[in-house]
Amino acid sequence: MSSVFSHHNTNADRSASDRRRHKEKIEKAIKEGVKDIVAEESIIGKDGKKKIKIPVKGIKEYKFVYGENKSNVGAGGTSDVKRGQVISQGKKKQSQGNGNKAGDDAGEEYYEVEVTLEELAEYLFKDLELPDLEKKKFKEIMSKEYRRKGYRPQGIRPRLSKKETAKRRIRRKKAAARDENFNEEENFSFLESDLRYKHIKLTKKYATNACIFFIMDISGSMTTEKKYFARSFFFLLYQFLRSKYEKIEIVFVSHDTHVYEVDEDKFFNRGSSGGTLVSPALEYTYEQMQKRYNPKSWNLYTFQCSDGDNWISDNPKTIEAAKKLREICQLFGYCQVDPNEWNGRLFDSENLYDIYEPLVREDFKTTKISSKDQIWNAFKSFFGSAVEVI
Amino acid sequence: MSDWNLKDLQEWDDKICTIAKKNKLEWYPITYETCDYYEMIGNMSYHGMPTHYGHWSYGKSFEVQHQRYQAGVSGLPYELIINSNPCISYLMRENPLYLQILIMAHCVGHSDFFKNNSNFAYTRADTVVPRMRNAKKRIQSYTENPSIGVDKLEEFIDACHAITYQVPRWASPVNDIENDRKEYIKSILDLDELKPRDTKNLKKIPPNPEYDILGFIGAYGNLKKWQQDIIHIIRDESYYFMPQIRTKIMNEGWACFWHYKILHELDLPQKYHIPFLKSHNQVVRPHIGGINPYHVGFYLFNKIEERYGLEECFIAREVHNDESFIRQYLTREDCEELNLFSYSKNENENLVIDDVSDEIGWENIKKGLLKNVAGNQIPVIFVNNIEKESKTLVLHHEHDGRDLQLKYAEKVLKHVKHLWKYDVKLLTMIDNAPYEI
Repeated sequence: MSSVFSHHNTNADRSASDRRRHKEKIEKAIKEGVKDIVAEESIIGKDGKKKIKIPVKGIKEYKFVYGENKSNVGAGGTSDVKRGQVISQGKKKQSQGNGNKAGDDAGEEYYEVEVTLEELAEYLFKDLELPDLEKKKFKEIMSKEYRRKGYRPQGIRPRLSKKETAKRRIRRKKAAARDENFNEEENFSFLESDLRYKHIKLTKKYATNACIFFIMDISGSMTTEKKYFARSFFFLLYQFLRSKYEKIEIVFVSHDTHVYEVDEDKFFNRGSSGGTLVSPALEYTYEQMQKRYNPKSWNLYTFQCSDGDNWISDNPKTIEAAKKLREICQLFGYCQVDPNEWNGRLFDSENLYDIYEPLVREDFKTTKISSKDQIWNAFKSFFGSAVEVI
Repeated sequence: MSDWNLKDLQEWDDKICTIAKKNKLEWYPITYETCDYYEMIGNMSYHGMPTHYGHWSYGKSFEVQHQRYQAGVSGLPYELIINSNPCISYLMRENPLYLQILIMAHCVGHSDFFKNNSNFAYTRADTVVPRMRNAKKRIQSYTENPSIGVDKLEEFIDACHAITYQVPRWASPVNDIENDRKEYIKSILDLDELKPRDTKNLKKIPPNPEYDILGFIGAYGNLKKWQQDIIHIIRDESYYFMPQIRTKIMNEGWACFWHYKILHELDLPQKYHIPFLKSHNQVVRPHIGGINPYHVGFYLFNKIEERYGLEECFIAREVHNDESFIRQYLTREDCEELNLFSYSKNENENLVIDDVSDEIGWENIKKGLLKNVAGNQIPVIFVNNIEKESKTLVLHHEHDGRDLQLKYAEKVLKHVKHLWKYDVKLLTMIDNAPYEI
């Protein structure tokens, strides 16, 4: 009996489609896990290469398995083994203290997938687009840029293209070699006419710029939990717009009864015990937009997060200011964060969500968040609607 | 560049086959295919099957293997051979000639084992390749069927995969469960002159514990035709692979036993002989803290030959599975020589050694080992009955001192519910008390 030999001749990458399917599953799981992105460090404004860890669940294949109280048998080789000897330290001691982290919970099946913000944005926003209406309004800004464009016989020394020049000479030599009288030995030098220079042309470039104003209420009623929601929500907005525009600027405006323009760190971490006036913040935003970001050349976005509180007497002014902003912004988005919606509000009709209600149209959107898992849906209600309509 | 061509392989293979024949090995002819590492990982992801239905889990398996290989965490196995007639085995082009010789000698051992071990009696090695090819085509057609589609199909296969190992452990054909029940009833009627002995149990479904959960759902579940077909495909594969799970140690031990014997008769040139031995030693070395099936299997077959003669080795390779093999042949002396010990997690999650192989400990260790071989690492779960009113499927876990991982069990039950469409419950023991999920 003898065997048969052959080359395994298939060029097909046989698992390609199953790998693709697996990748799709991971992406889906990431999308579902996005609500669990823990915003411990500042993520807004960081560049896209920063890596973040996302707990992903659900790609595990479950089978019946034995739990903790099983015992194993192993070979000891030549080493000396004794009863009671500890061969591996448990993880329990080390992981104490960060029990709220998903991955550490024994038995809970999470993968931690490490992705860059860019990749995350790609996973998240693949199916979302700026509403068509907005897209048309993209402001096109010309910027000037030098680009390479072919070769010229004239030019300055530093732009001499050695390769192109050498090619000319070779060409000339080949042609000359057809002549019977051509002498190989003779020196065949470069001529002035062989020289070629890289040509550079000034071109106009279309660029799209956007500026986002994040407005947040920091008054006493905004608890840490509410701010956490606001931060996650702003994070999504920022990442999404960043993936759609070339250049993006952010202005953080926080307010209680006063208005403060602050940096990111203060924006999320500072609190005050004061009351709330919304209109000054909106007016400030409007002024700054006019002053610093000409609406004719910038795509402006305003996103406001609050728990809905406002002085009743300020409401009419607020509506006016919001209307003004609506006219110059691509989108005005309002998000009401309220973890305990049921938790008795005295004047239900007086919260901002309802006040803004009459203003709602395609470029003025409102939404509510009362738990972590609503963040993604709230976000989609801002940018996903166009997709659904179409 | 490799130091060999197909002709070299052919020549060495002729020598190997001659020696193997002289030693009364009797194997399926082997078809060797050379491939590169990438194709090797591709084939491994599908259990070596030349064709196999697609499912994302195989893509995952590929990614894991590939990442591990590239990160240098693990090398690739030298050999990959499937139980078919003829056997198909892959040889990596990157491997040097001496290693190919070792692998070919090793494969003869495997092929002989596939053909002669009684556990493989019903694996139908003659038809497994076309069966898998057929299954792939059918599953592909369900994907393309607009009334089914990828998502529904995938969800169903996911659910089946969750209980894919819940099939009988003993060698048996993929049987028709409903038919078996009728046969069973007929048999008790016949015995007692058409009067059933136990009328109470006559209508019970299943009459006896049914270990083939997928098969049971396939027979009694409210399923569409394509779903029954998928259950059939996956069961068929589980029945096919179960003997390999049951005989991992013996199978590898037998293959190592023979490549080593063949080496001594092969008269290899010195430049091949030494690296051959080195690779052999790497393969059969103990994995500290674990059980290396190559190591334990090779060791035991050598001991059997030493103690009872070569004839006994041939008998063992025919009649045993890993569990009975170890129970019969592993002695106290062996436990000591292999330096076996048992360990478990204590309340601080530390791994602590419970027992070592001395006069008091070795029997416990042998018992512990038996629980961790031959597929005994997989909990045994069977269908006990269907509750009449609610149509609840009642599963029982054969508790042997080890508790189930509840989180996993709950997830699996969700999958089973998806298949069964009615409620499903599982009775087991947790902390020595009955527990129901």
